[in-house]
Amino acid sequence: MGTTTTTRIRMSDGALLTLAQWLSPAFPVGGFAWSHGLEAAVVSGRVTEAGAVRDWIGAVIARGSGRADAVLLAAAMKDGADVEALADLARALAASRERWAETRAQGTAFAETVHALTGADVPRTALPVALGVAARGLGLPAPLVAGFYLQAFAANLVSAAVRFVPLGQTEGQRVLAELRPLILRVAAEAVETDPGEIASSVFGADLAAMAHETQEVRIFRS
Amino acid sequence: MLDAATPTLQRTRGLASVGLSCAGGVTRIAGLRQEGSAKAFLPRTDAEDPEVVFLNTAGGLTGGDRMAFRLALDPDARATATTQTAERVYRAASGVAEMRVELEAGAGAALDWLPQETILFQGAALMRETTVSLGQDARLLMAETVVLGRAAMGETVTRAAFTDRRRVLREGRPVMVEPLALDAESLAAEGPAGLDGARALATLALFDQGAEDALGPVRALLDEPGAVAHASAWDGKLVLRAMAADARPVRRIVARVAAHLRRGPLPRVWQI
Repeated sequence: MGTTTTTRIRMSDGALLTLAQWLSPAFPVGGFAWSHGLEAAVVSGRVTEAGAVRDWIGAVIARGSGRADAVLLAAAMKDGADVEALADLARALAASRERWAETRAQGTAFAETVHALTGADVPRTALPVALGVAARGLGLPAPLVAGFYLQAFAANLVSAAVRFVPLGQTEGQRVLAELRPLILRVAAEAVETDPGEIASSVFGADLAAMAHETQEVRIFRS
Repeated sequence: MLDAATPTLQRTRGLASVGLSCAGGVTRIAGLRQEGSAKAFLPRTDAEDPEVVFLNTAGGLTGGDRMAFRLALDPDARATATTQTAERVYRAASGVAEMRVELEAGAGAALDWLPQETILFQGAALMRETTVSLGQDARLLMAETVVLGRAAMGETVTRAAFTDRRRVLREGRPVMVEPLALDAESLAAEGPAGLDGARALATLALFDQGAEDALGPVRALLDEPGAVAHASAWDGKLVLRAMAADARPVRRIVARVAAHLRRGPLPRVWQI
């Protein structure tokens, strides 16, 4: 055998690629259809430019459903986690009918696709709980998975904003890049948070999610 | 126990617990326990079902206080529960006040939990846990209003440690968890996703078989100058949120919707 110059690929690199595949916009969970209430904030004239988009998404990640999702995800990744209790909690935490539909529809599509690909039995429930259960076998650290999830969550809302506010593509990517330190901080904190300690203060975002239901013209499903 | 020798360390302690039973369609008091600064009473009213009024005789909460209100409705019992006054949460020199509200409504029971508003003063520190356990087919109407400072006094609250966790369980499983938390960061945050300059926040929720059918009529009651209010209904519940820069319009919305959903008058002690 001659000397090999091939750089070795570690096992965890394969796991990272799997996670990137699951959280890519091409993975068929239909994320593009949901705005998490952002559409209502745009329509009401409260979010009209890149800075406001960043602040809105940042608030939801720092003090609202983004952080709550990261906590649920990290909890679901633990061996022996009570998945049914976490799924119930995710459902009880949903701020409105459309918020629940948003996470359930994506979680169900995610579970079905992963099952079709790998045969893994993933619960058809809120997306972060389904993803957490599926990610158990990847052997990746929970803060990394939570960070990937929050980045995908933010990227999906940025993409909605690019289409609807509208923002330039580069402007949208700058918003996402600016959210990175917050995403890393919340991901690290979320894995240390018990699901019973989940808290929220984004009353305006929750109201926007409800307001979306009665909007006359709707591009997004939430 | 309170220690008179160290007045600066005095802390309020209180537990008021009420049990209600039902026989032949009539709800009656079955148990009453009162300790420390917590009281509960059932004033005579014209209403068919009893009204339970809880009271913190210390006149407010501050760091280190421990207060608990409990109410248990046996199957098929019907009652309204409220508080005698707004709960004032004063600046905490040290420690956090803890308040536990534990409510139970057995199978087929109907409970309206309509406490008066909670007013947070600058530096308030309160951890409140409200848990409502519902049996099969039990009905619950609940409303919580939080007011930041006294607008009439020009107060702005920039520091607080307030966690207000509301959990409703149906046969042991959570059906609503609303974990409101306000601290210096969330109070300072600008932009429409957060408090957005609001000084009053209210959440009203109905858990009932007909909850989703009530959405249309409730939405027709939400228009109030100066307030933003929206409602949603799903999974056997209706949830309404309202916020405003002033407490008055929020109070009006909550009172109007509560009166509509109760199909009757508001608790006697409410002053709108």
